[in-house]
Amino acid sequence: MTELLARFAPGLHEWLTLCAVLYAIGLYGLLTRRNAIAILMAVEIMLNAAALNAVVFNRFVTPNEIDGHIMAIFVIVMAAAEIVVGMAIVVSLYRLRASVDVNQMNSMKG
Amino acid sequence: MTTMNIAYPEIIVIATAFIVLVADLFMTERSRAALAPIAALGLLVGIAVTATLTPVTGELLGGRFAMDPVAWWFKIVFMLASLVAVIMSMDTLDGRARVRPRGMGFRGEYYWIMLSSVVGMMLLISARDLVTLFVSLEIATLPLMVLAAWRRDDAKSGEAGLKYVILGALASAFIVYGFSILYGLARSADLNEIARAVATEKSPAFLLAVALVLAGTGFKLTMVPFHMWAADVYQGAPTPVTAYLSVASKAAGLAFAFQILFRLFGDMLPQWGALIALFAAITMTLGNVVAIVQHNIKRFMAFSAISQAGYFLLGFLGDASEGVPAMIFYLLVYVVSNLAVFACIVWFANETGKEQIEDYRGLSLTNPLTALCMMIGLFSLAGIPPLSGFVGKFFLFSIASKAGCHWLVAVAAVNSTISLYYYLRVVRQMYIEPADKEAQPPSPSTSISITVAILTIVVSILGIVPTIYQHIHAATITWLASLQ
Repeated sequence: MTELLARFAPGLHEWLTLCAVLYAIGLYGLLTRRNAIAILMAVEIMLNAAALNAVVFNRFVTPNEIDGHIMAIFVIVMAAAEIVVGMAIVVSLYRLRASVDVNQMNSMKG
Repeated sequence: MTTMNIAYPEIIVIATAFIVLVADLFMTERSRAALAPIAALGLLVGIAVTATLTPVTGELLGGRFAMDPVAWWFKIVFMLASLVAVIMSMDTLDGRARVRPRGMGFRGEYYWIMLSSVVGMMLLISARDLVTLFVSLEIATLPLMVLAAWRRDDAKSGEAGLKYVILGALASAFIVYGFSILYGLARSADLNEIARAVATEKSPAFLLAVALVLAGTGFKLTMVPFHMWAADVYQGAPTPVTAYLSVASKAAGLAFAFQILFRLFGDMLPQWGALIALFAAITMTLGNVVAIVQHNIKRFMAFSAISQAGYFLLGFLGDASEGVPAMIFYLLVYVVSNLAVFACIVWFANETGKEQIEDYRGLSLTNPLTALCMMIGLFSLAGIPPLSGFVGKFFLFSIASKAGCHWLVAVAAVNSTISLYYYLRVVRQMYIEPADKEAQPPSPSTSISITVAILTIVVSILGIVPTIYQHIHAATITWLASLQ
């Protein structure tokens, strides 16, 4: 069983494809979603795809270093910070408008 | 050389930020008026320490934080811009404005967040590896998003903040994905090592990384087609924040572009000349053409800032030894001129609560000196000799000309003429249109009057006094030698 698993163990290619697919899903969600919270989730997926990418490269390209891990940890922290700011703004906007639909965010025209 | 003193400017600004935050806890609402002077004093000390910094070059933390002459100039510009922004915010936040905007409170947090953003920018230009670069970029921009959404009970401010967060996060996602690919290709997170490793790289993965990182840089620099956030964010944000955004985010974007284009992809930059020229032409033309039809002065200044980003891009063409000093000099000029104009806009919004261009009619009759200062600032942005804007633009245009892009110089010259037309629209309202009889004439404010006066004098003499440009030029030569 373990031999079988080892034979089909995903390599660098598979992992990078997974990251690219995740990133594309996030980008698609960001461009098509109308709910601000869903957009923030899509951003989170994109940032996490990038973090995973860094870890994958670390594992397969420079297994004896930790630069990629450090990068991933900081990306996670920054993603969290970004979402906190985004959610805070969404909450305060919801109080004013009772809606988080980004299609209605067109009060400024020029 | 590894000496701690090269990090003193950052340490001083961080310390000031937390002193402001903690002091806010123990103060009564009345005594919180002292917070802005504390923040301004901290920034002044930071500028003074940076000015006396020797040796200018050095590194810390195993080479992850480095100080060099170009970083020195950027840090001075960042701290000056935020110093002026702090002084401009005072009237609005301390309730001295005649028309008080709702929800502009929380002074301690406001200055704390503003100073955090300055620290991020200062670290950004000193960063020497991908992680530090990315984290400092986020420290610089996240506070700006918070500031844009500062007025909690104003839907426009919240909308501006949300748009900034979403598009800023998209830009960060581009940048960080590009960085992770670069890290994989170069097997290192150190900027200089990556630059060496990718010097001859031509693989599709590398091109994808370059495209992603450059798109992210374009967002920060408000380069067309990545400019769409700027107009709404500038218009919706509280006016003092717009003033800060217009100069600080542009300066941070330029610092980030320096790190990316000169340090990371310095060997490839000459091959990208045609692409950069194209983006420069589109950016300045679109910014200018759209600015003509604007009525809201903040939105108008946003498009003016977008077209200015196009002029900055000219400096990336041709020889770096001339492009870099020209860009830093123009950044200094842009910051001073734009802040001079914005100081007048902030003051006018404080006094009347209005922000349409038509509302400025007859300002030269009620407040002749302010109108004159605003006109000088606008003329400097348009590039009228002998103001500093002309000198800065002249350097940038001559670089494009020397790089062989004569068509681009023609486009830029036509754009300067267009920009003169729309800047004159504001001047026309102030000087030719009659004043509104019923409206109460706005009264001057001490802090903003002094700021405007000093900025106007600087705008006028910066282009005439040659020492500053000479110093920037000398600094650049040592910097470029260290890049090789």
